[in-house]
Amino acid sequence: MQRLFFLLAILPVMVSCKSGIVYQDYPEVYQNGDSNLWANKIYDDSKWAHDQIAGTGDVFWVRQRIEILENPVTIAGVQIHAFGAFQVYWDGVLIGVNGKIPTENSAEIPGTEATCYSLPDSLSRAGVHVLALRASQSYLTKEQRGIYAKMDLYKNLLTQPLIITSLMNLMSGAFLIASLYYFFLYFNSSKRQLTILIFAVICLLFFTLLILEYIKFYIDIPYTEFFTRLEAIGILTMIIAVLVPLYFTIQFHFKWKKLLLGILATTLLVVYVFNYRHFDRNAQLYSILMWIASTMVVLNAIWQREKGALLVLAGLLSSVVVHQYLVYDFGLFISFTIIVLCMLYLHTIRSRAIEDQYHSSLLLSSRLQLELVKKNIQPHFIKNTLTSLIDWVEESPKQGAEFIHALAAEFDIMNTISESVLIPVRQEIELCKTHLTVMQFRKEINYQWEEYEVDDSEYIPPALVHTLLENGITHSMPMSDGRIRFCLRFLKTEKYRQYTFETKAQNRTPLRQGKGGTGFRYIQARLTESYGDNWEFFSENSPNGWLSTIKIYNK
Amino acid sequence: MMRVLIIEDEARIANRLERITRSFFEGNLSVVEICDSLQKGLDYIENHPIDLLLLDLNLNGENGFDMLGSVVAGSFHTIIVSAYTDKAITAFNYGVLDFVAKPFDQARLEMAFRRISNITKGVEREIKFLAVKKAGTVRLIDISELHYIKGAGIYSELHLQNGKQELHDKSLEKLQQLLPNTFERIHRSYLVSLAMAERILIQPGGRYGLLLKTGETLPVGRYRYKDLKDKLI
Repeated sequence: MQRLFFLLAILPVMVSCKSGIVYQDYPEVYQNGDSNLWANKIYDDSKWAHDQIAGTGDVFWVRQRIEILENPVTIAGVQIHAFGAFQVYWDGVLIGVNGKIPTENSAEIPGTEATCYSLPDSLSRAGVHVLALRASQSYLTKEQRGIYAKMDLYKNLLTQPLIITSLMNLMSGAFLIASLYYFFLYFNSSKRQLTILIFAVICLLFFTLLILEYIKFYIDIPYTEFFTRLEAIGILTMIIAVLVPLYFTIQFHFKWKKLLLGILATTLLVVYVFNYRHFDRNAQLYSILMWIASTMVVLNAIWQREKGALLVLAGLLSSVVVHQYLVYDFGLFISFTIIVLCMLYLHTIRSRAIEDQYHSSLLLSSRLQLELVKKNIQPHFIKNTLTSLIDWVEESPKQGAEFIHALAAEFDIMNTISESVLIPVRQEIELCKTHLTVMQFRKEINYQWEEYEVDDSEYIPPALVHTLLENGITHSMPMSDGRIRFCLRFLKTEKYRQYTFETKAQNRTPLRQGKGGTGFRYIQARLTESYGDNWEFFSENSPNGWLSTIKIYNK
Repeated sequence: MMRVLIIEDEARIANRLERITRSFFEGNLSVVEICDSLQKGLDYIENHPIDLLLLDLNLNGENGFDMLGSVVAGSFHTIIVSAYTDKAITAFNYGVLDFVAKPFDQARLEMAFRRISNITKGVEREIKFLAVKKAGTVRLIDISELHYIKGAGIYSELHLQNGKQELHDKSLEKLQQLLPNTFERIHRSYLVSLAMAERILIQPGGRYGLLLKTGETLPVGRYRYKDLKDKLI
């Protein structure tokens, strides 16, 4: 944020930089043909054309009179924006070349669009001077852009782009790092979030955009490729204009995502096609469209009371202010930066939420572990078991010993599985069987275990069936033959795996009708822990007693 | 002759309770009934008079502590047999005769049984409320509101702070077993909170009376006079 304020503070200063030379320029004039005389300071060019004459690829001349009003304090320079290749003459003296004008033997070597030349001291005193270009434009002959010359101290001409570029590179460096960080974050994350990827891509595109925009200051791009860069910038802006609202729609759970983005993309393409080659204007339009779409999403988010929405709205509004009061180039990038910063902030909010979620899931896991361990030490189980045990030991020591062994076996299995999140089904069944043995000693009811088509290679969360079994024991009375039967069935289809567990007995009528006890909550929590939302659990009356179904979907 | 009801869902433990009960009361026992759920037990109490209830409060996954009030309002003594020792204080607050923690042995249960026939107080009584059944609901009366209790046959009349009276299903003897030492039996028919006693009146004809702070006078039994006098000084 501080960096941003710094930029905001320094940019208007830079933009309003005045020329270090006081001068007045007159309209430039054009003449096709070639003559060394045309470079001279004193030459009557009054009959020359005021517009660039449709070129044939041949040599032509441009002359412009410039009146320096005050003697410059130090070396003066001139900056020339033009398409083609040319030699620059100042008062008849050759001061520089850009590209190479074609000769009979060689084709034109295109020059670059913007060039700077220092002026000799003796020729830059106050008074009228003549800038003459001997030029050719063999390529892009339809682009009659004319020339534009600008005077300033030579030092300023060199350093101003440097300052701008350094600031913009600072910014783009930050985006590059952010992009790399979020790419790494995305690819190394166990739960890959689309928003992280989108954010990384936006940062990367934004980095590219900034580099492309300012690459002109340090790489000489032949004028023939001038539009390639602008085209690339336009396309990048367009992609960003789609991705930013997309990011917001995901973060803010926007309902009409496809509709909004569809309309946005279509409009962008329409602008691109109908406004072809109006590069600056188009970039403006793209960013306005992006802004409108984002603002719609954010307003909806405020209505939905999404966290961070107000801040993003503030960011969007301030980006408008920046855009209004700064020259296009900076304005666009700074407003983009503000929006990206908003996204970053939003991202930290989401990360925090995910962190909290993770912690609570850890907490849940350890709570479930505890719950499992508690099953066998909770007073109801252990004290009743011990009381029965005393009785067995007193009345028939031999069976008492068997009882102790069964109890030890149950404890053993519990101990083995207590820290696992998933255990083999067979182990679960063993746990149930030892539990039944223990309970048989306690309740003196004939419990029977049945299982059908159980696949031993399957894994399930620990003590799920055990919990159902406990419920079955607690809430059932034996049938007339004194038996209670428990039946576990397994079914595997392409879509899901299903365990059904049936208690075949008479149901007890409970004193109060409760909505699933702690046992059910344990089962549901365990299923969520391992399978997220891809499960179903039912438990209901059945003709034979009680039927519970656990359905686990493959995905 | 004792009529005992055991509410316990663990068959083995129920049988053990029954066996120890039978061996303790021997010929003094007319019925021992076992119910394996609270509901069955409450239904049984509804239809059969009993003298003693052995109750496990955690049956078939249901918490029986909510039912404790209606159980202790009955005319019989209640002994809780439970795995949840942390609930003992609550149980005593409600006025159960004893709380036997699982696992228990014969000696511990017999000690609880002995309290039934033993009027003198052994343990520190924790009772805080007397539960009274009234028009189908159970009302808890704070012991501190209780001035005195008058025996009325198999029932007792609770005389309260605000001058109101409530009927309790337990006999004066049973209430005396439950109430703390600050309650003194001054007469065959009267159990008084000593905190309410003003002074002893000696009335013509060698009769004694106890003047309460409320201005009421209650008769004092001839052979209880000395004990009372000692306690008031």
